[in-house]
Amino acid sequence: MKRKSIGLSLMMATLVAAGSVCAWAQDKPVKFRLVASLTSLDWTQTTNTRDMKVWHQMFEGLYGMDEAKNGYYLELAKKADLSKNGLVYTITLQPGVKFQNGEPLKASDVVFSYHRAMKNPRFNYLTSPIADVAAVNDGTVKITLNKPYSPIAHTFFSVKIMNQKEVESQGAKFGTIPHKAGTGAYYVTSYNVASGAKLEAFKGYWRGAPSINNVEYIVIPDDTSALIAYQNHELDYFEDVPLSAWKDLAQSAGANAKLIKGNNIMFMAVNYNSPKKALANLKVRQAIFYAINKHDINLAVCDGFGTEATQYMPSEYVATSPVNGFQTYPYNPTLSKKLLAEAGYPKGVDVGTVMTYGTSTSNNAKMAQVIQANLANVGINAGVKVMESSFVTPKLYAQDYDICIFADSMNYDFNNIRQQVHSESKGMYVVKYQGGPFDWQGMEKLIDLGASTADTAKRRATYTKLWSMVMDTATILPCLHRPVGIVWSKNIAIGQPVPTYYKIRLFTKK
Amino acid sequence: MYRYVVKRVLFLIPTILGVVFIILLTMNFTPGDPARALLGESAPQADVDAMNHELGYDLPFTEKYVNYVKNMVVHQDFGVSYFTKQSVFDEVWPRYIVTIKLAFLGVFLAAALGIPLGIYAAVRQYSLWDTIPSLMAFLLAAVPAFVLGMVFLFYFSLKLNWLPSYGMDTWKNYVMPALAISIPPAAMNLRFTKSSMLESIRQDYVRTARAKGASERVVIWKHALKNALLPVITNIGLSLGSLIAGAVVAEKLFSIPGIGSLIVDRISYKDEPVIIAGTILIAICFTIVMLIVDLIYAWIDPRIRAKYARTKG
Repeated sequence: MKRKSIGLSLMMATLVAAGSVCAWAQDKPVKFRLVASLTSLDWTQTTNTRDMKVWHQMFEGLYGMDEAKNGYYLELAKKADLSKNGLVYTITLQPGVKFQNGEPLKASDVVFSYHRAMKNPRFNYLTSPIADVAAVNDGTVKITLNKPYSPIAHTFFSVKIMNQKEVESQGAKFGTIPHKAGTGAYYVTSYNVASGAKLEAFKGYWRGAPSINNVEYIVIPDDTSALIAYQNHELDYFEDVPLSAWKDLAQSAGANAKLIKGNNIMFMAVNYNSPKKALANLKVRQAIFYAINKHDINLAVCDGFGTEATQYMPSEYVATSPVNGFQTYPYNPTLSKKLLAEAGYPKGVDVGTVMTYGTSTSNNAKMAQVIQANLANVGINAGVKVMESSFVTPKLYAQDYDICIFADSMNYDFNNIRQQVHSESKGMYVVKYQGGPFDWQGMEKLIDLGASTADTAKRRATYTKLWSMVMDTATILPCLHRPVGIVWSKNIAIGQPVPTYYKIRLFTKK
Repeated sequence: MYRYVVKRVLFLIPTILGVVFIILLTMNFTPGDPARALLGESAPQADVDAMNHELGYDLPFTEKYVNYVKNMVVHQDFGVSYFTKQSVFDEVWPRYIVTIKLAFLGVFLAAALGIPLGIYAAVRQYSLWDTIPSLMAFLLAAVPAFVLGMVFLFYFSLKLNWLPSYGMDTWKNYVMPALAISIPPAAMNLRFTKSSMLESIRQDYVRTARAKGASERVVIWKHALKNALLPVITNIGLSLGSLIAGAVVAEKLFSIPGIGSLIVDRISYKDEPVIIAGTILIAICFTIVMLIVDLIYAWIDPRIRAKYARTKG
């Protein structure tokens, strides 16, 4: 009898211990890396992608975005009806959605969130097409545009809905301390600018509580340290893996590794208005473009794992991005030399400096050095200048350069090309077409035309014409799409990997 | 002596004013502005100007300087970070403490390793106790902290799985960064101590002590070492300064939320309040350490003590 009860006790103890281990494993946080401090818990405070990835776990917009399937979907909006004149969106909100503080989602919260974003100049590029946002009733919002504007879907995705009561009750502290102002699947329980944030699953999430209970974001600035932390099982999800380590890491991670084409572009621009008069000659610019070997750039910058670019925006992520029907300037040094001779420079020419920003070992600097060598190969001499971005970018926007290397990323609609080619755009403006020997008015009309219709095929056709005109100017040459390497631990399943906006609510523990 | 200490403490005031002046002046000459960095390239210039005005960034240099000093002295207010909107003091102080802890640990280890080995190498000159540590010191003094850090991370974290690779939660987190930053100065301490001891033990007073029949232990520890320590102490004081300022490498490598990495990160955003407050704290610490070094000098060397006494009279 005594032996029996001892055995029973042991069995019970074992079961309790096993249960505790299971519970501990379930509550053990899934760890993500942040490359720098998490600036704020208020999504209106910056537009940097690093912070936005965290905010996407806490907040939701009227639309969601699925990078894997190249499109937007209805999120907090249950229905979005567009008026016949293309100016008014009537948005019916999802019923039963609650904020993390328990308050129900109301139209007034949507109006509050949009007004907050519209007042913030940081979001001018997103909210400028909006004339007015008004609540029709608790479950319906009316968003009026200045003009028909099909890329508005990105605004509906980017503007996140916050609970007015929660934001106002925290006042000036909002963003600096944990809050429950979002409708997302996670809320922050602990936040330290220096070291990161801890998130907990929102049990009342309208789609159902997520499978992973605890999430931790840890600031690990150094790539090598992050690599060691992952290999040491101190990180569960590691993105932007250094490409030099990709081969070995992918081998050891097996099925838990994925290299994805990034939604980014590294490109070269030539200033036709530079003091180097040769650059005003179209044939010289074409000669420069034909001299560039994108394969060399790929090897130098991405260890060969990148994608040599012809498009400015990869069509995997931008449905309206032109695919073909425009000049791509494939590597052809013989043609380059011929064009140079035709331009009156048979013995070569000095084109000034290739300017870029970053450190001397940055991707931009590597690309500048390859371009310098490629140009020298056909008799074009150029120096290289790599400086601090705060010094370089104003120079580029002021057209004070000869050749530059620039990078752009996170474009989800080809309308974003407006920033590069439209005379009214602000920033990201490395070639000023206005007033130049190009049909810049025609280019601007095409940009407006592309934004006026929602038909994807029509828009792509319009943008193909536009991009063909831009490429004919031989001023912007897309060179490389950098890949995003992701590895994750064997403890979790992440579904379809995406380059940027992963959703932890879709992850599961194994 | 007390007057000297008070004088040195008061010297902190012009030091702090100088630090604020230099940083504001430097930031004034660098291109870019905080509002543009915060609002992004696409924000209209009018909004950027309005934000710079709101932050007080567009004020003339002298006005900005006076305002900063006034807020600091009168209201004990270091301002709010342009970047995170958090109180600068709340953001800087915890990170400062982390760096100070790490730097002091580094200095302690550097002294604890370097000085005894240096003494032993000098006493046993030309033996293996001299050759091996001296050779090691020669090599390690030239190895940067980040290389040592990488090696430690690889072995202790990845291969042996003994120590965590990031953070500052437990004592284990301090081991690798403290060792990485302390080994190069420890090597320097060894070399300084050895050469200073060699010079000291050949002095007449040491020979006299031996002739008077003092034991070797008394000769070395009481007579030779006391005099040999002066340049070593100077080196330790200076190395603490460079460890605080140079901890940024270890902070980045081991993901330590310290003051060095904070200042470096915020420079690109021109987050002046954070940069100035962080630098002031480093300057205060360095000045205090130098004062302590001077006091230790006086404690060890009666000639210096006598000089202070004469100055007083």
